[in-house]
This record gives sequence, C-alpha cells and structure tokens, in this order.
Amino acid sequence: MATSRRVWSFSRRLKLHFSSLKPIYAAAPCVPVRFQGSSQQSGDHVITDAFKPPKEAFTLEDRPHFPGSSSKWTEKLCFVEPTRYDGIPVYRVMDRDGQIMDSTQDPNFNEETVVKMYHTMTLLNTMDRVLYDSQRQGRISFYMTNYGEEGTHIGSAAALDDKDLVFGQYRETGILMWRGFPIQQFMNQCYGNNAGGDKGRQMPVHYGCTERCFVTISSPLATQMPQAVGSAYAYKRAGNGQVVITYFGDGASSEGDAHAAFNFAATLDCPIIFFCRNNGYAISTPTAEQYRGDGIACRGPGYGMSAIRVDGNDVFAVYNVTKAAREIAFKENRPVLIEAMTYRIGHHSTSDDSSAYRSVDEVRYWDKHDHPIGRLRKYMFRKGLWDDDKEQAWMKKSKQTILTAFADAEKRKKSSPVECFRDVYKEMPWHIERQMQETKEHLAKYRDQYPLDKFDSWDD
Amino acid sequence: MASKGLRVLSTGLQPKCSLSYRGLFQQLAKGGTVTIVSKRSCSYFTYVPEEPPETAGEVRQMNLCQAVNNAMEIALQTDPTAVIFGEDVAFGGVFGATRDLATKFGKDRVFNTPICEHGIAGAGIGVAIAGSTAVIEMQFADYIMPAFDQIINEASRMRYRSGNTFTSAGLTIRAPSGGINHGAIYHSSSPETFFTHMPGIKMVIPRGPIQAKGLLLSCIRENDPCIFFEPKILYRSAVDMVPTEDYMIPLGKAEKIQDGSDLTMVAWGTQIHVLRDVAKLAAEKYGITCDIIDLRTLNPWDMDTVANVRRNRLKQLRSFSA
Repeated sequence: MATSRRVWSFSRRLKLHFSSLKPIYAAAPCVPVRFQGSSQQSGDHVITDAFKPPKEAFTLEDRPHFPGSSSKWTEKLCFVEPTRYDGIPVYRVMDRDGQIMDSTQDPNFNEETVVKMYHTMTLLNTMDRVLYDSQRQGRISFYMTNYGEEGTHIGSAAALDDKDLVFGQYRETGILMWRGFPIQQFMNQCYGNNAGGDKGRQMPVHYGCTERCFVTISSPLATQMPQAVGSAYAYKRAGNGQVVITYFGDGASSEGDAHAAFNFAATLDCPIIFFCRNNGYAISTPTAEQYRGDGIACRGPGYGMSAIRVDGNDVFAVYNVTKAAREIAFKENRPVLIEAMTYRIGHHSTSDDSSAYRSVDEVRYWDKHDHPIGRLRKYMFRKGLWDDDKEQAWMKKSKQTILTAFADAEKRKKSSPVECFRDVYKEMPWHIERQMQETKEHLAKYRDQYPLDKFDSWDD
Repeated sequence: MASKGLRVLSTGLQPKCSLSYRGLFQQLAKGGTVTIVSKRSCSYFTYVPEEPPETAGEVRQMNLCQAVNNAMEIALQTDPTAVIFGEDVAFGGVFGATRDLATKFGKDRVFNTPICEHGIAGAGIGVAIAGSTAVIEMQFADYIMPAFDQIINEASRMRYRSGNTFTSAGLTIRAPSGGINHGAIYHSSSPETFFTHMPGIKMVIPRGPIQAKGLLLSCIRENDPCIFFEPKILYRSAVDMVPTEDYMIPLGKAEKIQDGSDLTMVAWGTQIHVLRDVAKLAAEKYGITCDIIDLRTLNPWDMDTVANVRRNRLKQLRSFSA
C-alpha cells in the first residue's frame, strides 16, 4: 500500500528544536508501513491481508541484512504512530435488526441449526438468571453470568469441531452448553455437591469436561493461554486433525501469559485460535484503562499472526470468522487471533455491583438495542423460523428444564470431607495419608461440631 | 633444547592459566608437559564417585551433565510423544545438557523457545494436558520465578481441581541450580524450598551422575509433575561409571550413604559431598562418626529413612545451601 510522506529537512529541525526537546516527531505525518506479504484472500474465507514481512530471498541489493528484520533502508526519521491509522474494522454479517448486509457472507444455515443456536443462547440466559438469583438467596456461593456474550460462545462453538480442545477463562459456559454438557452437571458444579466433576473443590462456574474437550477452568487469568499453545503443539505432532482454541477477555490480554502465548504460538507454528472476548470491562476497569492501542486484534500482526475483529453480538459473523480461522490454523499450522467485540451486560460476578462504575443507562442501551439473542430473534422472525407462540412455549420449557436440574442439585449432599486429601497426586503419599487419617479421627471425635449430615460419609 | 614443563595452578575446579589456551596447546605440541596443581583457595568438597550397582551391565564414564543427557536420550527413544524445549536447548544448551538431541531426534522434538519462562512452563503444562510428555528446561533455577504462577497455581493443582480428569502428569521441569565459582547472585540460586512445600508437584535433586540419570528418568515417567534441579557445580566435577541401560531410581526414597553412631546428617545434592568431607573431618578430629542421608526427593520426602535411626542418637544436622 502506498504511503505519503512529507519531505522535511532533518538538520533544520534539529537546530530549531534541539534545546527545547519538543516532541517534533509526533507531528510527522508518517503512517506505519503495511507489509504486503503473501495474500490470505481466497474465495473460501473473507479475512484481510495479514501484516507479514516480505520474504524475498537474500540478494546483494543494498538492503539491511540484520538477522532480526527483513526490511529496507530509510533516510526519513519517522516514527510509526499508533494514532495515525484507522482501527481494524469490525466484521459483521447482520445489522442490529438481524438483516443480512451482504448475502455472500450469509452462512445459510438450515432451520435446525439456527433454532439450536437460539435455543442454546436462551437456555444459557435462563440458567444464568436462575443461578444468579440462587446466589442472592444464599443457595450457591458465587456465580458469573454471560449476559450479552452468548453470541461469542455459540457462534464460535458451532464453527469448531466437537473434539477441538477448548481452554476457557470463566465466561464461556455457552461452549460447553452447545457441546451438550448436561444442565444437571452445570448445577452440580455450582452447588459443589457430590456429583460435581470437581468434588466441590472449586468455586462455581469452574466447569471442565474431558468428554467434551473442555479443559477445567482455573481462576488465575490468562494462564490457560500458553497451556493452549502447548496442547496445540502436541496436537500438531500427533496429527489428530484437531485444533485448540483459547478464550480470554480484554483484561486478561494484558497478562504476561497472553504475550507468552501469542509469541510461542507464532514461533512454534501452532494450530491454535486465540479468541478474545472484548466486552468493554475487566471488573471495573474499562478498556480505556486497559490498553492504549487499537484493542487486541492489532497485536496479532506484531507477533506474526493473522488477526480479525468481529461483531461478537452477531452470531453468524462469529461463526464465519471462527470457521475461517479454524481452516487457517488447521491447514497452515499457524495461530489466528480473533477479537470479538461485545458488551458485558451483567456484573462481573455476584461479588460485583457494576452501578458503582458505569451508568445503568449504558447497560440498558446494550441490553435493549444490541443484544445477540435479540438480533438473532429478529432474524428468525424475519425468516419465519420463529414466532411469539414458539417463544412462549420454549421459554416455559427451558425454564422447567433448568428448575428441575436445580432442585435435584440442591437436594444432593456435598462430597465427603476426606475428598480434600485425594487427587493431590496420582498415588496418595504417606504424609497426606496421615493428614487424612488425623482428620477422620478428629471428625469422628467432634462430629457434633460439624454439619456432617450435609456431606457424604467416608470409610474409616 | 628440552622444553620447560608448565605448571598450571588450579583453584577450585577449573584449571586457570596465565597463558591462553593457545599457549597451552603450543606447549603440549612442542612435547612439553603440563602439570595441574590443585590448591584449595576456598572451602569446597571432594567428589567421591559412586560405584555402579553390581547388577548393572555395560557402564560408561559420564559426568552429571552427560548422565542427564543420556537420560533424556532414553526418554526420547522410549516415548514417541516426548518433547524437550526451553531456551537454547536446540544447539545443546548452555551447559551441553541437550547436546546432539536435536540432531538425533529432530527439531520438532528438541527445540528452542523464545525467552519466556512462564511461556515455557505454560506450554509444558499444555503438552502434558494433551497427553504427551514435556521435559522443559529453565536455563538457570534463578529464572524459574516467572514460571512460579504456572507451576504453583496450575501444574500442581491440575489433577486436584479437575477431580482427577485433567492432569499435567507428563511435565518435568529441569534446571541447573546451586552455587558455582563465578555465578554470584543470579546464577547460583537454590530455590528448591519454594517448591518443596507445594502439594501436587515433586521436587528432586540428585547428588551425582548415577543418581541423576535414574532420578530424571523416574521424574519424566512419573504420573505427577516433577521439578528436577541439577547441581551445576557437579556437571563436570562429578564423574561416575554410569550404567548405559534404561534404569530408574524411585522417587520419594532417601538413601543412607554412610553409617555412623553419633550424629545423623541429612542433605541433598552438592551438600552431600560437603557433609562427607565434614564427616571425615569430624571422625579425624573429634572421633565422631556420622550417618549421612541423601533425601534425593524433597517432596514428598522419605521420613521413614530419616527417622529410622538408632534410638540413642537424637542429634540431627540438616545442611542445605541457600
């Protein structure tokens, strides 16, 4: 791409501004050079050119030959200014009213798929409401809702293979739901009961499932990202036909582990999709305080990765970009970065009240005017796939499903207290065995001091 | 004219010479002699080679670094999923621990990473989650700190937090540790105690080449994530006749390497050899005889061996470098 630069006299500027040390360079109208690498465009997917350095062979031409960069000389002192180029555009398929903007981008799903998407998004929304309220009632200890981000979950999950390995952060419940994780299991984990996969060891919403290739969530942010890269490398060597996807938020992308993951994925040629849910807030910290650059997508080319920005509230657009990203990652064994723009309509968690740092009007706007479920509903109404009667019937049925599972989970006991000591190692070492024995003796001696009727019993 | 012999003064463990190496070789080429004279310039220790077990077949002289290399070679031969990565490991590593492995097994199995310890640790966990084996290297134990979060919050808790469904069992973290002549603050750390007290990982330190090979192979094959610190001062100075076969030394088992009646001394790694000298000094000067127990695995440690001493001896000395 041609760039225009005003020619200016360096020595003259230097004489004028040397003592004042003013930032003259900020005024220089330079724009970053966009490298024209090999084009990624094809008829099959719709992403733009990546920022790739030219790969010309070594010649005797007067070029710099530093091992660290293949570029060219310039005699113009010109900084690459972050403010002097447009942000990466936001790809969409539908507008906010659910109208397809460009028919060539329509994924042309059949009715069954569209209805499944809608069912999953609304079921997730209903489950969120029930579990959020249950925390308020003191029935579960903690909960994190997914309000407003359902499109990012379902759109991306639908584009993946069910065996692709997922490393989530904590707000990706919809992926597990799409893959058929039973509602009962969500409830069990949130209740920390004896049927929850983690035996009550983790806070609610820290789901995991080997069968559905969803790695157990952990609380520290972004730690899953370099792990996902390692798994992608192992998958590449195994040649198992799968890719790895890792989800993270705008806040988590600031962590050092995010940088590590991006750099490793690119240098080790890993088949991985980095999916950033940019929902505008990291608890109370808005994106304006999280980063200065053009979001997260702009970092991709800096690491040598393809990147794209997408409207996260447009489930079809999320589907399209994830599908295209998966093809690149799998066929070309290289990482792709997707930044899905969305809005966190709910509080960060039940421990947060977001009215402390943002206006209720702002939240109401997104809820009413730019919501992934609302947009898909409008599309479905327009296409005659949905109507008010079906809506009513489905809302009643989905709520019933949730409440039935909820009641069952509440009835169950918690895991036995001695489960604290199991699974630390594969085989229990002597010192943990001793601690477990001491605990059993203590509980036997003072059982009236503990609510043991709520817990499974144990063998002596 | 006969050449004068050249006396080279050795302080510590490396020979130092006022001539350059070129001068040294020229001297040798002329048919001259070079005598290396050891002179203790500071407190140190004598490495006493360990005898290979009687049942061992073929043996080969190896220093600790070569024994580690041999263990990794066997791991790569026997486990097709095993990969080794870290900073500079492809050309052989800054100490030569991974020498020739990339040539023998391919760049996809032994490869460099960018300089990022938390990335190395995180990626190692990810390889293990995918069911493969990862032997990762921290260039110096001093630099394991950025990886602390991944090791403590992730690797060690993976099995527990997932209800025994996901694990990082296939992960082994290796690092050269401990003091050396010129390492100073940031190349001499012994940070093993940070990891010794963390449930979910195992912490292992060998005292010599025979131990190193067997313990490292156990770590790599263990069903839990392990950290294996290699005393760098022993890399060249500790030389044993090491069995060339594939063998493992069990984790969680200490070893009593010397019997005595007055004092029990417990240590690991380099300090074992310091204590051996101390025990000799104690016997010669004070008539005190000492047990010496090498913990080998710090976590979980072998309390039985340490506690199983004669009842009339209540005194215990634990020595560790910090």
